[in-house]
Amino acid sequence: MHEFSICTNIVESVIAEYEKIEPGPVRLLKVRVVVGKLHQIVPETLLSAYEVLTKGTIAENSQMEIEFVDVCCQCNKCLWEGEIDYPFFICKECGSGDIALIHGKELYLKNLEVEYDETG
Amino acid sequence: MKNQMIKVYKDLMGQNSLWAEKIRLILKESKVTMINLIGSPGCGKTSLLEKMTTLFPGKRDFAVLEGDVETTHDAERLNALGVPVSQLLTSGACHLEAKMVYHALIDLPLPSLKLVIVENVGNLVCPAEFDIGEHAKVAVLSVTEGEDKPVKYPLLFREAKAVVLTKIDLIPHLSFNKDACLNYIKQVNGTVPVFEISSLSGDGVHSLVEWIYSL
Repeated sequence: MHEFSICTNIVESVIAEYEKIEPGPVRLLKVRVVVGKLHQIVPETLLSAYEVLTKGTIAENSQMEIEFVDVCCQCNKCLWEGEIDYPFFICKECGSGDIALIHGKELYLKNLEVEYDETG
Repeated sequence: MKNQMIKVYKDLMGQNSLWAEKIRLILKESKVTMINLIGSPGCGKTSLLEKMTTLFPGKRDFAVLEGDVETTHDAERLNALGVPVSQLLTSGACHLEAKMVYHALIDLPLPSLKLVIVENVGNLVCPAEFDIGEHAKVAVLSVTEGEDKPVKYPLLFREAKAVVLTKIDLIPHLSFNKDACLNYIKQVNGTVPVFEISSLSGDGVHSLVEWIYSL
């Protein structure tokens, strides 16, 4: 259930970032988060957490979109670079297990989509 | 009405990372190494710490931060052996976060310590997500669990600087395939050292302790 802990951070960040926007929008429509597949996030659980945790906040009724990032590595032996057959951290070129992670551990709030009224 | 996209690019572990940095600073200043012990409930984390204490009766340069969802039972077990121990109760949360560890850490007699072992809440998923400023995450896996735990919980085994395979004295009584397990560990983390131990007999505990003190 780490989705709830992570979502607490998402909601706090969303509210903090929304309140910084000048001039202030009418409402928040959508938030986009980027999640590396190594985090083993269950999207449905994260989305339910978002719905629950945004109740009574300015983010209530906004939608969350999750962009997943594949797990990519670079081989320390032959320098091959690419997506691995997750969860197997094995070089697809030379079979070495000595490989370094390049992508797949991302976890950040990418953007907010907000609404302004035409006169604003 | 018109819509506008606002770029943010904000790290979602930001708050936890700040506390983790504070912990790293304190550890560096006091020259203390911190280990984050992570494994399932019942995999033998507390028993390992008990054995470390009884095998090295003169060693009193380490303290334990004991993370549990409820009860102070584990802290009492270690306290009975004379180990400085603080209990961190998460009251339901399935992992320790850096802020909580920070406050417990600064209450320890750090100048007299070389090592702090954090026994995280029994769980293979969430504790792996949270940086608590440790020098090394150590994954603990017992032979009474499935061989394929490393590929089922890849983040933990990938992040771990060492894997401890516990309860090896039970292998003759189980259908546990150790080679398959070691192979799964290798497939997730090709360069990680594996320590095979028994907290009952003490087998393997010496080399694990040597490794920890060499960090």
